[in-house]
Amino acid sequence: MDSVAQRLSAVGAGAALELRGVTRLFGALAALTDVTITVRPGERRAVLGSNGAGKTTLFNCITGDFPPSSGTIRFFGEDITQFPPYERIRRGLRRTYQISALFPGLTVQDNVYLACRGVSRGRFSLLRPGQNDALMHATETLVQAVHLTAVKDQRVAELAHGQQRQLEIALALAGAPRFILFDEPAAGLSPTERRELIEILTSLPAHIGYIIIEHDMDVALRVVESVTMMHNGRIFKEGPPREIESDPEVQELYLGAGHE
Amino acid sequence: MTKFIERHPAWALIGIIAIAVLLWLVFAIWPPGLEAAIGRKRVFLNAVFNGITLGGLYFLVASGFTLIFGLMRNVNLAHGSLYLFGGYIGYAVSTWTGSWILSFIAAFIGVALLGVVLQLAVFRRMEGQDLRQTMVTIGLSIVFADLMLWVFGGDFYQVQTPAWLIGPIQLPLLTAVKSSGEPVYLQYPLVRLVIFVASVVIGIAMWLALNRTRIGMIVRAGVDDRDILAATGVRIQLVFVLVFALGAGLAGIAGVVGGTFQSLSPGEDTRFLLASLVVVIVGGMGSIPGAALGAVIIGLAEQLGSVYIPTYAIVVTFLIMVLVLAVRPQGLLARR
Amino acid sequence: MSLLQSTQLRAEPTAAAARRAFIRAWPELQNPAAWLVALILVIMPVIANGFFLIEIFGTTLILGIIALSLMFLAGYGGMVSLMQLTIAGFAGYMVAVFGMSGNANISLGWPWWLATPMALALATLFGTLGGALAVRTEGIYTIMITLAIGAAFYYFTNQNWAIFNGHTGINTVATPNFWGVDWRADIAFYYVTLGVAATCYFAVQYVSRAPFGLALQGVRDNPRRMAALGFNTNAHRIAAYAFAAFIAALGGVLQVWNYRQISPGSVSVGACIDVLIIAVVGGITRPVGPFIGAFIFVLLRTFAIDLLVKFGLDGNRFRLLIGLGFLAIVFWSSDGVIGLWDQWRRSGKAATTRSGGGRHG
Repeated sequence: MDSVAQRLSAVGAGAALELRGVTRLFGALAALTDVTITVRPGERRAVLGSNGAGKTTLFNCITGDFPPSSGTIRFFGEDITQFPPYERIRRGLRRTYQISALFPGLTVQDNVYLACRGVSRGRFSLLRPGQNDALMHATETLVQAVHLTAVKDQRVAELAHGQQRQLEIALALAGAPRFILFDEPAAGLSPTERRELIEILTSLPAHIGYIIIEHDMDVALRVVESVTMMHNGRIFKEGPPREIESDPEVQELYLGAGHE
Repeated sequence: MTKFIERHPAWALIGIIAIAVLLWLVFAIWPPGLEAAIGRKRVFLNAVFNGITLGGLYFLVASGFTLIFGLMRNVNLAHGSLYLFGGYIGYAVSTWTGSWILSFIAAFIGVALLGVVLQLAVFRRMEGQDLRQTMVTIGLSIVFADLMLWVFGGDFYQVQTPAWLIGPIQLPLLTAVKSSGEPVYLQYPLVRLVIFVASVVIGIAMWLALNRTRIGMIVRAGVDDRDILAATGVRIQLVFVLVFALGAGLAGIAGVVGGTFQSLSPGEDTRFLLASLVVVIVGGMGSIPGAALGAVIIGLAEQLGSVYIPTYAIVVTFLIMVLVLAVRPQGLLARR
Repeated sequence: MSLLQSTQLRAEPTAAAARRAFIRAWPELQNPAAWLVALILVIMPVIANGFFLIEIFGTTLILGIIALSLMFLAGYGGMVSLMQLTIAGFAGYMVAVFGMSGNANISLGWPWWLATPMALALATLFGTLGGALAVRTEGIYTIMITLAIGAAFYYFTNQNWAIFNGHTGINTVATPNFWGVDWRADIAFYYVTLGVAATCYFAVQYVSRAPFGLALQGVRDNPRRMAALGFNTNAHRIAAYAFAAFIAALGGVLQVWNYRQISPGSVSVGACIDVLIIAVVGGITRPVGPFIGAFIFVLLRTFAIDLLVKFGLDGNRFRLLIGLGFLAIVFWSSDGVIGLWDQWRRSGKAATTRSGGGRHG
């Protein structure tokens, strides 16, 4: 893997993702309060925090699943706050879900094909893909990249948990992603599967940045160069992994609780 | 209310103007120009009163429908059959005993019992399967319709209005002033007014029961969030059965009312099912005040429509539904 | 290994893969029973007389087409629409209004080749607008809204005399007659119907594996995820309504040619619900279901009266029979007659494997 500085300098300046004063209310409950984050293109960042810290809500606001109650979100300079989710995805934003959100009735290949189709033209096409369909090739490449070629014709409902998690990642890699939000991709994976996951994450092309929510510090800190700590819906600390790890306040709040 | 005005000043203004115009039309003595343009005031007032009293009837049918849907997510497409069944029971009892009041009680109990049987024997077995429940209600509506056709045939029946309610009553509303300066007041059938007052009373009683009693609170909590029900540890099946019985019983009462106002015949079940659907879509799913509002709107639209644009009356009703779906898909008074 | 680089090795030889994909796409081509059914349908005019040909098989195919449009929406899109018959009826009315009929004051007298496309286009538009309304809400609400649309149309045709000629409807609707063939003559009409039905069947089958159909199934299973893959889920749903409306409209045109008249009775609420019954009884997961359901329905409708009388019962209780049969299917099968058939075959298979396993043990 190339060095962080080298990789970032290759992509240029500006912000990939810029949140300003994002607040999300559920009734009277504030799930996010005044969150301001700037992520550079190609930057890889972990979001840590206990349950209910607002991590997944943060993702939902960025992708538009639940739009923010106030604040603005910019994606590569464009204000996407009011966009429906699919418009954000078409601009190169991707996400995975904490609990695999797949299409259980369809095969692995069809799942990945749908993901490829979703970010290209011909979403309404009535013609079946032919033998030389470019998206079919893209689909096969992706299936192979997440090591699922052997089961590509199986229905997703029949897959093992680890395989479903890998498919979840494949769906987020379809098309030309510019920025990905990974929501606990390692949850429920075996140590071997975790190694594979780390390999997949570290071998992503340099220009693709991501935010990863991950409880497993071993995974998180090996694949990111910056960390954001969240607590009660607010940003609590930001910095490089080592600094965050050794921060006494963070240790008290999060790591300490984890070692109990 | 003030919150609504703050958030939607334009809609509030339109609503206030509409109500003001309606009030003026009802209470003022119409200038000759207006009478020349849209006809006699008496016709208009009659249509308004018919609309509002029809709204009362619709409310009786739709409130049960909306309650059952709200709590159990059961789209009871056999609700029209329950209405017609209640009407036939009422007719049979009133011709047999000669008592109008007794026919209401019999219809309520009879149809409520049918509701209990349905909930216990059928719907409890498929809880949480909305689509399958709906399919079953469709099948039931076909079976009921044919059974009732078998027993009662295709004839029209009318429940006899009791002697003490027959005849019109003079209302303190001017319809016109004679050239001699003598005022002419509106004459309106007493029975319709009594029934309307009764449905208002039932509506208020339901509202109070839902808002002031423990079981009502449970039902309301269940309508808002079904998971709460399971968590409160109440005997949820009992609540379901009670609500289904109440909803079905109300449809039964409505059947007697409809049989008195209008008539009973095959096909009325579909008509009142449709009315419930539209009322509930307009008013908001699972909301009793919504059902009341929707019922009055649809009743008025139907009656005014059939007087002023007879060949397009149904279109008016339908357009109201379309408009509500376009602007506020969850219905006017739904919570969500 | 690195991502997003082109693969060097193919997982399997392309020819074999293509063959497997082909079989998966067109399962009926591998099924001898399907070939047999197709053959019987094609030579039907030799076997059946005029009554059977049109009253039984022609009607089955037409109702099957209309129910197929519901199957497409419900099976692939998860949207149970009760207005499919209304769309078909609307198309039928439009054929009568734009074409020629006994009601010269209403019909515009266009030739059939102009009136029919017009009717199809308007009915598709009607279905699309209805769909756009129905997708404003989700799930079970769809049934209520589409039923309300269907019922409103029924009452409207009853009230309106200017276009729909009130409760008498429009009679003696002209049918196509060209190339020296009367296309409403029994045999010719049967083949027209069979052709349209087969086209619709294969179109639905084909589209279900095309991007549009796959995406529709995705929207059915998990709309939120589909949005997170870049799909505009509501647009997809509305497009599905449009596709289904076109199929229903085809059925409606055939229906008005079949009966040569159309009246509010053809679009009654009961008839709307019959289409749902047909689709559900047949099975809504595969395009063949609606046709099986239609066949059962037409047989019952035609012969139930004689059968009931033969058993000493009242012949008028046909609706009761339909209702009870429908309830039985909904109670015992998850997917209509096809579902029962699958259950039966699976239990048979399971029994053989069990006994086979026993011998090896």
